[in-house]
Amino acid sequence: MTPRLNGEVDAVVIGTGAGGAPLAARLAGAGLSVVMLEAGRHWDPAREWATDERAQDGLFWNDERLSAGADPVSFGRNNSGTGVGGSTLHYTAYVPRAQPDDFRLHSDFGVGVDWPIGYGDLAPYYDEVEAFLGVSGPSPYPWGPPRPAYKLPPLPLNGAAQLMQRGCAALGIRTSPAANAAVSRDWQQEGYGLRPACTNRGFCQAGCSTGAKAGMDVTYVPLALARGAELRTGAFVTGIETDPAGQVTGVIAMQDGIETRQRCRALFLCAGAIETPRLLLLNRLGRGPVGHNFMAHTGVQLWARFPERVGPTKGIPGGLISEDTHRPADADFAGGYLLQSIGVMPVTYASQVARGRGLWGQALLDHMEQFNHVAGINILGDCLPHPDNRLELSEELDGRGLPKPRIHFTAGENERRMTAHAERTMRAIFDAAGAQDAWAFPRYAHTIGTCRMGAKGHGSDDAVVDRDGRLHGHPNLVIADNSVFPSALSCNPALTIMANALRTADRFLEGR
Amino acid sequence: MVRLAIRDLLQGEHVSPATRAVLLDRLDAPPVRTPRFLTPAEFRTLQAACARLLPDARVDVAGPMDARLAEGKSDGWRYDTMPDDRAAMRAGLAGLDGAAQALAGAAFAGADAPMQDRVLAAVQSGAPPGPAWALPPQRFFEELLAEATEVFFAHPLAQERIGYAGMADRPGWTRIGLDEREDREPA
Repeated sequence: MTPRLNGEVDAVVIGTGAGGAPLAARLAGAGLSVVMLEAGRHWDPAREWATDERAQDGLFWNDERLSAGADPVSFGRNNSGTGVGGSTLHYTAYVPRAQPDDFRLHSDFGVGVDWPIGYGDLAPYYDEVEAFLGVSGPSPYPWGPPRPAYKLPPLPLNGAAQLMQRGCAALGIRTSPAANAAVSRDWQQEGYGLRPACTNRGFCQAGCSTGAKAGMDVTYVPLALARGAELRTGAFVTGIETDPAGQVTGVIAMQDGIETRQRCRALFLCAGAIETPRLLLLNRLGRGPVGHNFMAHTGVQLWARFPERVGPTKGIPGGLISEDTHRPADADFAGGYLLQSIGVMPVTYASQVARGRGLWGQALLDHMEQFNHVAGINILGDCLPHPDNRLELSEELDGRGLPKPRIHFTAGENERRMTAHAERTMRAIFDAAGAQDAWAFPRYAHTIGTCRMGAKGHGSDDAVVDRDGRLHGHPNLVIADNSVFPSALSCNPALTIMANALRTADRFLEGR
Repeated sequence: MVRLAIRDLLQGEHVSPATRAVLLDRLDAPPVRTPRFLTPAEFRTLQAACARLLPDARVDVAGPMDARLAEGKSDGWRYDTMPDDRAAMRAGLAGLDGAAQALAGAAFAGADAPMQDRVLAAVQSGAPPGPAWALPPQRFFEELLAEATEVFFAHPLAQERIGYAGMADRPGWTRIGLDEREDREPA
């Protein structure tokens, strides 16, 4: 069947998450005709979303991926979203900035790679994104370069945050209420309307039904729409078409069972570090290490039971932060990590107990009887790129008839040492706070890398895109998501994805 | 053990309509008698295993697991060392029977509870007796236990059992600190 044809637009943006949404809003604001293609649906959170983990399964990217290597990474709810807003529908809204030295790991340690851009390139965009989303956080912020005051005061500390605060105080580790992209006061969002103050539901990872959390669905997507962009949901892109010179001319998408060709003058790929390289490989686009250097943050968690009632589902999950471990003095590894207190929802916690401790039968039921007394600490640490940690297309087809991606991940010596250091640190903190039965859950979080940006630009052997996201050999195909990260950074990725997406959009507009 | 009047809580003002609909449906769903994907014999094996993993007969764990397989739904990933979810379940359940035959001379569902526990522990350890497995026994056990646990603790009766009232989140929580509790939360 011949695909239905749509007229040429200036820009097609694939994906409406932390990369695609800010970028689309920027391009539309500059007067470009923009079509956003989103594989998932556009939810009505207030009406459709339940305070229930199982019912919210639809927020996750559930097309099956094959997890290989010595430390196979879980996908789905661990790190992959679908629907208008992408993974920001289920992120915890934790928005620390990267620190300047995160961008020059190789210069400082002789391992990993430096970014072709620095903190200074992103700083104005960090400022802009934080102000636009209504980030709630402490002012001044205790770590990193000075920044403008956050627009809103921090969210209140829950039980887990108070326990980490207590333990850290005993050990002389500085803590602070964290920066979270959920509004602590009623907030008028440009292009959207009122986002009411957070009610402390604690279900951020299962979708915010009130709009307090700054998912892209209540922030940059409505802004893009207000500026004239068009949004098509249920549109799964399978094909990218190019002319003989390598210029992208359009994309093929399946939408409601109909194959559609959308012609465009530029294509922006913002589908995340799995689907972005998968789409390139499916279309045999790009040179260099497409799919290689897959990274996942070291994310070991420490859980424990406390005599006090904690109520682990109440309040913003990541209430407290410490970046004193950003470059630990006694480190036997490169880079570092941040510490965050964590709340948790019951099904997620029980599942981790099952996988992590192997408890079952009466022992599992007994453990879970103490759920209201459970608190956690988590790290978010750097991960060095390794060419063998990579995504490839498997021989197995998914429900759409496309090859399932296989992702190889094996933690290196640096990740193992950092994890061991972090576990010791967290155990000391929780011991000092009065913990009982503490146990560690090894874990790798987020999807990063696979389409590395490189300093050399077009023609570089070790990079897939240049510093402005342009794909080697296809200058009107631009990538703006976590796949371009050359290294993982010792912070959660969402804020940096958004900031870099705005920077990428500006660079594209400057070059027109 | 403290008991919440879970139905009263779900029907009260603190639970949103969307949340109430989901949880009452789950609470009132009759247990599955006829599997849609597994054979009746396989389903009995799964039911018997779930009864040992999550020993609370009020909650149907095997039914929703069979339904997921029937619908071909994924949670977004699987271990590359495992066959697809349907084949893994079939092979794993056959493995439970093989191990039970070797240990007790009976099918898994026909063995007594202590023997079933021995079989499950052997599978979890990665070295079950009996015929060689076509997939890693430890990974099968991990996946089986994780899914059973997720189904179980999503059920209102299991949530009541652990004193969880997080679904009653309207108009919000204000008492969120240590040793703080709203009136609608169990003591």
